[in-house]
Amino acid sequence: MEIRLIKNCCVLILAVFMIIFTLNMAHASKPVDGDSEEAPGRKLAKQAVKDSGRWTTIDHTKIDALNQDFTSGEEVTQACISCHSEAATQFHKTIHWTWLASGDKKDMRYGKAGYSVNNYCISANAMEDKGCLSCHPSWNKKGVEGEVNCLKCHNSSGYNFNEAFSDIQSFLEDGDPETNEIADELQQEVKEAVSKVNFPTRKNCGDCHFTGGGGDGVKHGDLDTSLTKPNRMLDVHMGTDGKDFSCTRCHTTVDHNIAGRIYTNPAVETRKSLIEDDLAPKITCVSCHSAEPHKNDSKMNDHTDVVSCQACHIPKYARVNPTKMSWDWTKAGKMKDGKPYVEKGPYGKPTYKSIKGEFTWDKNVVPEYFWFNGSLTSTTADDVIDPSEIIKVSHPVGDQRDPEARIFPFKIHRGKQPYDKVNKKLVAPLLSGKNGYWTTFDMDDAIVRGNKTLGIPYSGEYDYVETTYAFPITHMVAPKENAVNCTECHVRENSRLASLSGIYLPGRDKNNLLDSLGWITVLGALFGVMLHGLGRFFTRNGKED
Amino acid sequence: MIKKAIATIAVLLFSFITVSFAFAAEGPAGNKRKGKYTYRKVCKACFEAGQTDSASPKVSPSDKKMAEWKNIFESRNFESFGCDEQWEALTDKQILDIYSYFYNFAADSPTPATCK
Repeated sequence: MEIRLIKNCCVLILAVFMIIFTLNMAHASKPVDGDSEEAPGRKLAKQAVKDSGRWTTIDHTKIDALNQDFTSGEEVTQACISCHSEAATQFHKTIHWTWLASGDKKDMRYGKAGYSVNNYCISANAMEDKGCLSCHPSWNKKGVEGEVNCLKCHNSSGYNFNEAFSDIQSFLEDGDPETNEIADELQQEVKEAVSKVNFPTRKNCGDCHFTGGGGDGVKHGDLDTSLTKPNRMLDVHMGTDGKDFSCTRCHTTVDHNIAGRIYTNPAVETRKSLIEDDLAPKITCVSCHSAEPHKNDSKMNDHTDVVSCQACHIPKYARVNPTKMSWDWTKAGKMKDGKPYVEKGPYGKPTYKSIKGEFTWDKNVVPEYFWFNGSLTSTTADDVIDPSEIIKVSHPVGDQRDPEARIFPFKIHRGKQPYDKVNKKLVAPLLSGKNGYWTTFDMDDAIVRGNKTLGIPYSGEYDYVETTYAFPITHMVAPKENAVNCTECHVRENSRLASLSGIYLPGRDKNNLLDSLGWITVLGALFGVMLHGLGRFFTRNGKED
Repeated sequence: MIKKAIATIAVLLFSFITVSFAFAAEGPAGNKRKGKYTYRKVCKACFEAGQTDSASPKVSPSDKKMAEWKNIFESRNFESFGCDEQWEALTDKQILDIYSYFYNFAADSPTPATCK
């Protein structure tokens, strides 16, 4: 009787203890406040960008050097460097100025001003194609021969300074009192606009980077004018209703060198968090979010050594504006009534232009995935190609054995572009200007002139070859609730990673031996548990000690 | 009498040639730069008079082709621009300047322009 009482007490205590323990566990699993259950990577990133308010010690409207009647852009630059004495010298050494990947100005291998080509407008012809120079940060499209246009990146007015200076000079020269009066008004406008100096905004960077390749969203897929004022759903970092990052918040800058990938070179040599190195550029996700960004018990952390953050957190690109997906130069040159014409298709975008050929566009595009260690291969106008294959003008480097490589999302732009049939090299036709293809519609002549600007011989015979150009997708980071689901990759049919070979991906792949071993283990465990239970049931259950 | 007739014919011929040149196929002979700012002033005055929501011009040269601008300006039908009072106050010379601006920067010109 006494034993039974003790036993009952023990059972009761155990039951109470279990109830308390269970209730505690249940409460603990609910986030009490925003931070208690926050993923470490998110918490670290919030700390890294805590002080987001930018401040300045200068009001440029009070600077005498800027309160003058400017008649040219060069005069504005002189006013800037009268205080910022080293700015232009620093800037002259950057790729934004030289358009060459190498610091050595004689090394023309990679860069817009070098032998690099793409499958859009193909080449900038060593800055001889003046059409491209509207994006060079010099005054009056003079390229490296001109003065730095500081206002291109450091002015928020949106004022067309080049047009204003051209008009001012013309009006001052023509001696007409009426136009002189207009010139005075223009100079006043210029003065007001010049003083609106700022750190580079998304608009400043986007004026070139959102419209590269000749129009909005043409090139990158993850960079277009929708990012000028994005919401959080489009980009959690840049969203004006979220963190409202400018580009330079991640593309940090030293001596006017802006962090980021430069042609074949990766943006950073190694992934470092700011805890490891507080002066590391914030260019990678790891910089702020660390290498284990998810909650401690999350399976997601087991993925970060092989899957890039972008692969899951950018489920689709071109989510607001369409992006160009292909460009066929073989169709260029058709005329209607003897004149060049334009045809528009879905999204209101041109699908045919006599001067350029045929295009396709797409929106909400699922990326293609490749192993990527941060470097890209690049086929230049000086490299020998095999025209029987699709030429990878730009393609990610890396494989599953590379410890720096991750599975990474890409936009692949497909094209057909001209090449030299004899020398077996991609060619660089000159497009704009009175002698360019867009005026003459003579491709052979355009190649002669274009290749001459690069100093690359042309045999006189050309044909077209299929090409691809890969763009890493790294902007347009969606909110976490919109990230890619596990079953979009770990699935037999239509896996996002269907084309990625050389790895065994559970769910996507099937191996009879491995699957059999797995089932044997599961069934064996079940059988063992059942056997154990039955053993207890038949040998001890209901028996008194 | 013959002298007067010759003089009249000469004047008529001169006027005809002048007008023809002004509206020739190469485009009107006004001052296109001046026309741009005159047009902007029209838009600004229109906005200040409360007739438009913005001082920025709502019509740009790149909105139409050269032939279309030719029809509009030769027929002097400025209805699509709005701002009737301001257009009526312009001199022939000012209208010619604006015409030159729109014609030379039309959608099918070498340098289509948007007026801001």
